[in-house]
Amino acid sequence: MPDWQELVRQRLSNLALEPAEKDEVQVELATHLEESYEVFRKEGLPEKEALHRSFAQVGDWRDLQRRILIAKRSGHPMQKRVHQLWIPGFLTMALSIVFLVTLQKLGFNPRMVSWRDSDIFFYAPWLVSLPFLGALGAYISSRAGGSRGIVLLASIFPALALTLTFLLMFPIDMIIEPIIGRQVDFSIVAASLLRDGIDWILVPGAALLVGGLLVHLLFGRRVSSQDTAIG
Amino acid sequence: MIGSGIKRGTAELAILSVLEEGPLHGYEMARRIEEQTKGALRFTLAALYPMLYRMEQRGWIRGAWEISHSGRRKRCYRLTPSGKKKLLPLRKEWEELFGALKRLTKVAHA
Repeated sequence: MPDWQELVRQRLSNLALEPAEKDEVQVELATHLEESYEVFRKEGLPEKEALHRSFAQVGDWRDLQRRILIAKRSGHPMQKRVHQLWIPGFLTMALSIVFLVTLQKLGFNPRMVSWRDSDIFFYAPWLVSLPFLGALGAYISSRAGGSRGIVLLASIFPALALTLTFLLMFPIDMIIEPIIGRQVDFSIVAASLLRDGIDWILVPGAALLVGGLLVHLLFGRRVSSQDTAIG
Repeated sequence: MIGSGIKRGTAELAILSVLEEGPLHGYEMARRIEEQTKGALRFTLAALYPMLYRMEQRGWIRGAWEISHSGRRKRCYRLTPSGKKKLLPLRKEWEELFGALKRLTKVAHA
């Protein structure tokens, strides 16, 4: 007789739940399989066939793992969003900032590219690291059961946060500058926004997205909570 | 093709109905549903447990570990008061739906 507990443990080893909760799920599923097996054996099936039929109840263990995770977290929509978006997103952002600051401290200078009378700065080593960071954010989100959209959002989170900051800075600038008595040249502000948008949002965002898409292609079978329940 | 919403609704109704008769663990629940529906509804392990966990999160059912006669640890599920409350309107909705479909098919064949 197979060791059902061990077999299920191996197949659900990546179930991202608290250890006690994970253990409970594994024991419960193993008991179910064991009972199925025993019934098949009592019905006269040979050992191999009984084993095969018991396991045939789960076509894709990774899919089951994700569905269990989604189901276990379905009662707490806020908690779900925290695990799928905010934690991976902020982690990706924090790591990208730390890495950029470290590069600057180490004396890496940005590469300057002239474009339409303005200079755009690129930190090449930083940009190279971004697909990995985007992939990390996407992977954590995917492990937490994030849908395709959420996984990709988590990967480009730093670029989105910067976009929001830029969008807020523009109107605030427009209000504050006249108050403190400075003339605002809209064309300069627009040009500056465009330049900063390219070197701090567009290019890094694309680099992050590359990592996110890669993870999505490798790991991201989207499993919706709407999935069919009856086998 | 039956939509996933309808399938899920059917599954929820089946689980709540079978638990109304008394507490059951997962395997027994699947077997009971299959028997009582003469094989029309069949839950595999992969379909059953995500559904049970979702319903537990919603507070409709509650699972608790028990030791069976064979000495095995089994998680038994029972209806909560909230699950009992959910069962009545759910049952009514499905009766109305099947009643409507029945009337419709009769008209269509008339």
